[in-house]
Amino acid sequence: MPEIRVTPLGAGQDVGRSCILVSIGGKNVMLDCGMHMGFSDDRRFPDFSYITRNGRLTDFLDCVIISHFHLDHCGALPYFSEMVGYDGPIYMTQPTQAICPILLEDYRKIAVDKKGEANFFTSQMIKDCMKKVVAVHLHQTVQVDDELEIKAYYAGHVLGAAMFQIKVGSESVVYTGDYNMTPDRHLGAAWIDKCRPNLLITESTYATTIRDSKRCRERDFLKKVHETVERGGKVLIPVFALGRAQELCILLETFWERMDLKAPIYFSTGLTEKANHYYKLFIPWTNQKIRKTFVQRNMFEFKHIKAFDRAFADSPGPMVIMPGYCVQGTVGHKILSGQRKLEMEGRQVVITPTLPPPALSHACCDTAAGVMQVEYMSFSAHADARASCSCGQAEPENVLLVHGEAKKMSFLKQKIEQNSVGKPRRGRACEGGFSRACADRARHLAEALSTPPRGQLLYAANGETVTLSTSPSIPVGISLGLLKREMAQGMWAGHAGWGGAAAGQVAPQTAPAPAPAPASQGYSRMPRSPGSCRHPIMKDSNFRLVSSEQALKELGLAEHQLRFTCRVHLHDTRKEQETALRVYSHLKSVLKDHCVQHLPDGSVTVESILIQAAAHSEDPSTKVLLVSWTYQDEELGSYLTSLLKKGLPQAS
Amino acid sequence: MDPECSRLLPALCAVLVDPRQPVADDTCLEKLLDWFKTVTEAGPSLLLLQENPCLVELLFRVLKAHDPRPRVLSFSLRLAGLFAAQEDCFQYLQGDSSLFVASAAGQLLVHILALAMRGPAEGHPSPQGCDWPACAQKIVCHVEDSLRSTATPQVTQALNVLTTTFGHCHSPWTQGLWVRLSPLVACLLEKDPIPASHSLVDLLLSVARSPVGSSDCGLWETLAQTLSHLSPTQAGPLALGILKLQDCPQALKTQAFGVLLQPLACVLKAAAQAPGPPGFPEGATGDSITVDTFLSSKSACVGLLCQALAHLELLQLLPQRPSPWPQAPLLRAAVAILRFCHGSAAPTSDVGGHLCAVLAGCVRVQRAALDFLGTLSQGTGPQELVTQVFAVLLEYLTSPDSSPMVLKKAFQATLRWLLGSPKAPSCCDLDPHTQLFLGELLPVLRKRLCSPCWEARDSGLEFLTQVTRHWGGQAAFRHALLASEVPELTGQLLRDPESYVRASAVTATGQLSSWGLYATPTGPEHPEVQQESLFTELLHILSTDSEGFPRRAVMHVFTQWLKDGHADVAEDLEQFVARVLQAASQDLDWEVRAQGLELALVFLEQLLGQPGSRCPYAVALPEAAPPATLAQVLQALCRVQLFEFALRALFDCDRPVAQKSCDLLLFLKAKATPCGGPQEAGASPDVVSVEAALQRWQAGEQGQPLGELEPEAVMAVLRSMDLEGLRGMLAKSSDHMEKSPQSLLQDMLATVGVLGENEADCY
Repeated sequence: MPEIRVTPLGAGQDVGRSCILVSIGGKNVMLDCGMHMGFSDDRRFPDFSYITRNGRLTDFLDCVIISHFHLDHCGALPYFSEMVGYDGPIYMTQPTQAICPILLEDYRKIAVDKKGEANFFTSQMIKDCMKKVVAVHLHQTVQVDDELEIKAYYAGHVLGAAMFQIKVGSESVVYTGDYNMTPDRHLGAAWIDKCRPNLLITESTYATTIRDSKRCRERDFLKKVHETVERGGKVLIPVFALGRAQELCILLETFWERMDLKAPIYFSTGLTEKANHYYKLFIPWTNQKIRKTFVQRNMFEFKHIKAFDRAFADSPGPMVIMPGYCVQGTVGHKILSGQRKLEMEGRQVVITPTLPPPALSHACCDTAAGVMQVEYMSFSAHADARASCSCGQAEPENVLLVHGEAKKMSFLKQKIEQNSVGKPRRGRACEGGFSRACADRARHLAEALSTPPRGQLLYAANGETVTLSTSPSIPVGISLGLLKREMAQGMWAGHAGWGGAAAGQVAPQTAPAPAPAPASQGYSRMPRSPGSCRHPIMKDSNFRLVSSEQALKELGLAEHQLRFTCRVHLHDTRKEQETALRVYSHLKSVLKDHCVQHLPDGSVTVESILIQAAAHSEDPSTKVLLVSWTYQDEELGSYLTSLLKKGLPQAS
Repeated sequence: MDPECSRLLPALCAVLVDPRQPVADDTCLEKLLDWFKTVTEAGPSLLLLQENPCLVELLFRVLKAHDPRPRVLSFSLRLAGLFAAQEDCFQYLQGDSSLFVASAAGQLLVHILALAMRGPAEGHPSPQGCDWPACAQKIVCHVEDSLRSTATPQVTQALNVLTTTFGHCHSPWTQGLWVRLSPLVACLLEKDPIPASHSLVDLLLSVARSPVGSSDCGLWETLAQTLSHLSPTQAGPLALGILKLQDCPQALKTQAFGVLLQPLACVLKAAAQAPGPPGFPEGATGDSITVDTFLSSKSACVGLLCQALAHLELLQLLPQRPSPWPQAPLLRAAVAILRFCHGSAAPTSDVGGHLCAVLAGCVRVQRAALDFLGTLSQGTGPQELVTQVFAVLLEYLTSPDSSPMVLKKAFQATLRWLLGSPKAPSCCDLDPHTQLFLGELLPVLRKRLCSPCWEARDSGLEFLTQVTRHWGGQAAFRHALLASEVPELTGQLLRDPESYVRASAVTATGQLSSWGLYATPTGPEHPEVQQESLFTELLHILSTDSEGFPRRAVMHVFTQWLKDGHADVAEDLEQFVARVLQAASQDLDWEVRAQGLELALVFLEQLLGQPGSRCPYAVALPEAAPPATLAQVLQALCRVQLFEFALRALFDCDRPVAQKSCDLLLFLKAKATPCGGPQEAGASPDVVSVEAALQRWQAGEQGQPLGELEPEAVMAVLRSMDLEGLRGMLAKSSDHMEKSPQSLLQDMLATVGVLGENEADCY
């Protein structure tokens, strides 16, 4: 039974170092090659030694696909291709190809410059790695080789993010990467056609979350920024993810213009500045509004936003807004988790709350330099629970959840399964220590899932393999003439499974060339002419059923005749001709359905069976019957032989 | 343990055992384990447990809990294993293997087995195992049962456990184990298909490498048998493994080499127009099984060929590679494969026709074959064959069908063959064949430098840089290059839209100019004019290019020019250094600034001598420079504004820059201090202004320039500064605070209660 195997090496049930191995139709594909931001040792990269114990990666993997430029999806790529030694093709979209090296360089800088790591990949390695990249367009079917093809779909999330369909023969897998079903200020919503994959591998970061209205969040954000600026304060927005920076820039720029504000906005030079250059270039990848207006004005040409001046950092009184997640081990994480004492760049910073009562995610702090307020606001570009389900538009047979947390995944699975039997009751108490709010979100999600997978909903820990059996349909061609002839002879009647053959679908379990139905009684169902034999032909990857003559002709073969012979001794004192006549009469009376003939040369034929009578060389009272038959009439031949061995009826 | 950590630990343990408290993410628990590992390694773990009773309490309560949270349970188990590891050897519990349960379980079995066999059963226990400890017997019986199983995953597990055993345990008892288990392993070979063939190969090689291999002659028979039973693709890794063994019968090695050569022998046979020269040694004649694999499917054919090429490439590099090495037939085979892929072969045989159809345009095989061909350049071959090699390489370099990756490999292989080609003995110049080839190659290179594909332009430039580095002095090369338009085109690529290409063009022009090969309209008769123009052009790139790569490349070129004592640089050395340092000091890229300091150090060494030259044959020079020279040197350093650059860099926000500057100033301080000289300057007003500037820079104000500096003032400031202390501080990474155990414990405690909503809000 053919199968699809999926093994997450990273991001199985966590977030970070996304790396998923898929084996489909004998092809091996690696989906993403990310780093884990929580580690700075070997564990930051997936454990590639698991892929192949002693073989070369290039021999094992047919290709690597990168879904988007975020480092948890591509950060291990130069290490994988230049240090581990993968030498094969790497597929990604053009914007990803353009922005990926900027992020990799930045990652290298942080690792080597800030953290002093030795043995990290070099700039040359990043370049050599990028030379292995093959850029793909949206909706373009790319043949990796004769059997494996991939196709990219728009995923929203960040510029150039794509979902990928991986297809071998009739089997396929869709990998969503990170995606967003809600259009934001610069990107459109993810979209995929009804490709009905055997398996959909989807992120589940917000498996149990339905975020509040984006409009409210944005309004709150702008209000807080505005208030602070009006008070003469300063707002510092450390944007963790590329793509979010651009979103916030557009948001602020539009607001500034509407309110006619004059206060300067700065963005840090380096990453965002470099990336902006590509955002201006890849306008076709943005949403409709930006695409429409870019002729008059490119939205990424900001009027109010300027490059950052370092001196600005030490001026008093900033307000810090954290628009995203901060990993453990960072200053951002400490601030968000409400720590009062911080050591930054060798200086002890004592933070004491000034406004009572400080909520943990809204800490008001007094630094040595002045008052600092901290706000946490979610501007994530991930699909939330409601949207996660909309990926059901691909109509997958099975779904594998990745890039999320095990507990949330199992909760989600449970809810979806409940949903497919019956909607859960409102306000039902929720298991596993989940809050009421969380349960409500999951209910929303379950209700939103209009097309639950027909098969299973799965999740796998890192290093754990999920195996799915598939029943690929193999189209078989047959000429109308042959089909009519076969049907006229009633040959298809006994084969229910073959009824659809005319439509070209045959289950693989069925023997490719069905043996004729066994003869049980009589010979009426035996094939009567060689023309009724069907032979499968595999040519140019097409599977066809043809008549044996046609098969011989197409394969350039001559028919090989195989005949069986047998001698039957009969006690008969009459002449040979008379014996032959007696045989003829006897067979004519016994085999009523068959064509029995007495030929002028004295021999008797039944179908392809030839019977000749001869005198015994030593015993004149014995006659020898020479019976010969073809391979095709094997059963009839042996039946006749045994019949003749019993002797002929006495002449009346 | 740090007292602050000891203080935080009880609170954290209380959070971990409390099922109502959310637990921080896995990375925190992983790091916590890392820290416990360093603590247990540093001192007795028993004492640690006695001083921190909360740890025992944690283990006790988690393990007794009815429904422990999986991540806390797994953490506690591993922590328990960590403490146990001091007395026993349970290190397997630590590390990333927890993600891969099967592998961890296998390792666990091996450790227990080794531990059980360590005591009474040391020596030569009987293979029957009657005198083995009960625990070991149980494990071996389990392995035996698994080997007999019809389920492949179970067989795989057993084979993996045995592979680890023979890989790690080298005591005599492993011989008994092999005697007992080898019949079961041999039984696997009788099955069709052979189950878990990859793992079986791993096991056999692991046994062959262990002491068991040198004593058991039955093993060699099993290996020979396995080689003949496995399919060509499965047998490849085994054959390579056998050829890597130190001691192994010659007959087996010959058989293994035959397996690796089979696919190439098939190719040679298929490509032959007529009975050709002798091919591979006996045993590698292109057998029917290999031919069948070739014919079975395209992917099987491609897979087998790529594997064979990769294995032979690895083998060629090994000292124990088979001898004699069939260089000529291998070359012929590589050329034949490349021709099949390119569609330029005209085979007459059926297999040849099939290969032609299957391999046409196959990038995967092209890459593998070009890599292999490149490695073969280490050996020689008959001239007629070498000519064929160059011809096929030229086909690939010329072909519009070559993918960027294939083109890069073709350039790399060409470079290896060019540099490996013999020189004509008389004039130390290139031999006539190479010269002829160069004549054909350079127009192709010129075309590639104009390619619309940036990868092609970049690979072309990289090739040009390398070949010039080696042959810049060869008259024939110089003549051919100058006659081509390649140097002019390289100059034009300094303005390429792709920054990677601009960087490569900078490196290439730098290299060309070092050999006087950078042609400009003025022609080679006025080198000073062109040099000035290239220097200006590169300086312009350094000051204005928006991308870091080209600017870094410029700094590398300038440093190299300074090191090589390039005539035109030496003409006005101070002017050169001053202009470069000025541009580098203002660069936003930390690597450019760091490279600027590198250049400054080279300049300083040229003025003052190498730091700590330890060559025993060198003339013993005084460690410090004589005062008269020093004063001149310091004046020169002031003139090129090296001090201002270095002192500013000392407070650079990028740590490597500050480190480099610290090293440079320490070197200068060491050279200057013992000589006396102008150190009696005292606290002159100049010193005050320098110190004030330093304080401003330290505070992050970069704006104000230092102005004219007096050497005495600078030296006085250097002497008063604690550069060693600064170096120690800079050695710490920027996140050393966040990485500390206190920080980890504080973070974990601080997150209690706020987790939930924010934790998964990534990106």
